[in-house]
Amino acid sequence: MDVDLPYRVVSVADLSGHDDRAWHVAWNPAKPLLATCSADKSVRIYAYTPDPSPNFVLHTSIPTGHTKTVRGIAWSPSGHTLATASFDANIGIWQREDQDDAGEAVGGEWECVTILEGHETECKSVAWSPTGTFLASCSRDKTVWVWEAQPDADFECMGVLMEHTQDVKCVAWHPREEILASASYDDSIKLYLDDPSEDWFCFTTLTGHASTVWSLAWAPNGQYLASASDDRTVRIWKRITEHEWKCVLVLEEHGRTVYSVTWGVGKPGKTDSGSESLGWLASTGGDGRINVWAFEESPEATNKRPPKSRLIARLENAHGVNDVNSIAWCPRKGYEDLIATVGDDGVAKVWKVASV
Amino acid sequence: MDSQIFNPNPTIIATTQPIARRRATQAKLSLWLLDGDDDSKPIDADEVFDLIRSISDPEHRSMTLEQLAVVSAPQVTVTPNHILVEFTPTVPHCGMSTLIGLSIRVRLLRTLPTRFKIDIRVKPGSHQSEHAVNKQLNDKERVAAALENPALVDVLETCLESAGRR
Repeated sequence: MDVDLPYRVVSVADLSGHDDRAWHVAWNPAKPLLATCSADKSVRIYAYTPDPSPNFVLHTSIPTGHTKTVRGIAWSPSGHTLATASFDANIGIWQREDQDDAGEAVGGEWECVTILEGHETECKSVAWSPTGTFLASCSRDKTVWVWEAQPDADFECMGVLMEHTQDVKCVAWHPREEILASASYDDSIKLYLDDPSEDWFCFTTLTGHASTVWSLAWAPNGQYLASASDDRTVRIWKRITEHEWKCVLVLEEHGRTVYSVTWGVGKPGKTDSGSESLGWLASTGGDGRINVWAFEESPEATNKRPPKSRLIARLENAHGVNDVNSIAWCPRKGYEDLIATVGDDGVAKVWKVASV
Repeated sequence: MDSQIFNPNPTIIATTQPIARRRATQAKLSLWLLDGDDDSKPIDADEVFDLIRSISDPEHRSMTLEQLAVVSAPQVTVTPNHILVEFTPTVPHCGMSTLIGLSIRVRLLRTLPTRFKIDIRVKPGSHQSEHAVNKQLNDKERVAAALENPALVDVLETCLESAGRR
C-alpha cells in the first residue's frame, strides 16, 4: 500500500453470486443499477440506495439463455436496454417486460427482446453510441459490426468493418461524436467514422502497443483515448487534429496484463494549480491491482504536450489472488467517486475513491 | 482434429521416478496437500513437473510429454506466486503445439492453488511460429473460449487421462 498517495480505494460492497469467472461490469447511466456478466452465462443486476453510503442488493439474476460465456454487457444511454455479448457469437438485447409510454420500466422481468446474429465466432464486446442510435459489436472473427437501433427493438446492420487482422477485443464510442474505436489481438487500435454517402470506414490506425489491446476508454472531454494492453502498459492518445491521434503518454504501473481501463469525470472543474481537470483514469488487470490517476491540462498546453498525470490511489490484491477483468466508474451524477470491478473469483466489488 | 502427422518418428527418452512422490513417501506427506495448507512445503519445479510429465502427447497418444522430452523439470520455473513452464515441440513445425500448451495449462489450472499466475511458452527457437503460439496460450480469453469448445475439450481430456498416473 502506498501511504503517500492522496486518495484511498475504500471497499463499499462485495457482491458474490456468479458461479464462475466474472468478465465485465457496467453501471446503468440513468438508474441506480449495476450489471455484471460471467462465464456462468448469467447476468446479475444489483440495485443501490443513494449516497453517501450506498447499499447494494441483488435486483435480479438473468439466466440469459446464451449457450456460452457472457463476455460483455452495455447499457443504452437511456438506461432502458441492456446488450449482452456472448462467446456463442450472439448479441442479446434485453428490456423490462412492462414499460409505460415513455419507455420507463414499471416492473416485470427482464426479457430478451431480440437476438442479433451475424458474428461467426465469440462476440467479445458491445457498445452503444452516445445517442443510442448505434450499437457496435466485435468478435474473434476479426470484424466490427455497426447496428442501427430502430423502433420496436429492430436492428439493422449498417456495416461490417474488416480492418483488423486478428480477434477484436473491445469496441468503444466517443462520448459525443459518432466516432467508434476498436482494440485488437493484432496490437492495434482503429478509429472509424460514418461516411454519409458511403459506409463506415477506418480513418486511422493507432500502433505502439507491443501486444494485445484489451480495453479502451475515452476521456470525458473526448480529446483523449486510453488503451490497456497485454504489454502491461496503459497508453494515452491525444487528438492532435480532427482526425489525427498521437500517443502522448505510456503509463507503466502494472506487473501483468492490463485488462481494463475506465475514465471518469473525477473532480471536475479547475484544479488548485488553475489547470483544467481531465478526470480520473482507473486501470486493473492480471496483477490484481487497481491504479487511479488524475489528469489535468494547463490552459496554455500545446497540441502535442501530454496531459499532466498523477497516480493518486492504488490498491493491491483487489480480488485477492485473482485477476481483475473489468473496472468501471459510475457515470451518474453524485456517484462519480464510485468504481466497480469484477474478477476471476466471480465477485463484483464496489469501491469509493476517497481522500486520505 | 488434424490428421496430418507432424513428426512420424519421434525420439523417445527414458523416464525417471516421480521426484516429488519419492520425496513425499519418505517424508510421509501427501503430495496433494496443495490447497491453502500453509504448513506444507512450498511448491517447487519438480512438483510442477510431476503434474505434467505424464500428459499424453496429442500426436503419439501412447507416449507422454516426458518420454518425448517435450517437458522437463529444468524447463519449469517457480517463484512464490508465479509458474513459468517452457516446453519443446518435437519438431519446429509441430501443429500440435497449442494443444500441448493448452493441456499443460488446463492440468495446472486444475491441480495448483489459484494464487499461481501461470505462463506457458515454447522453448525459445524451438518453433517456427513461436510468437503466435505463445500469444495464444497466454490469452485467457482464447483459453476460456477453447474450453467451451466440446470437440477440443474431448481431445484435451484424452491427453489428460494419463496425467494423474504418476
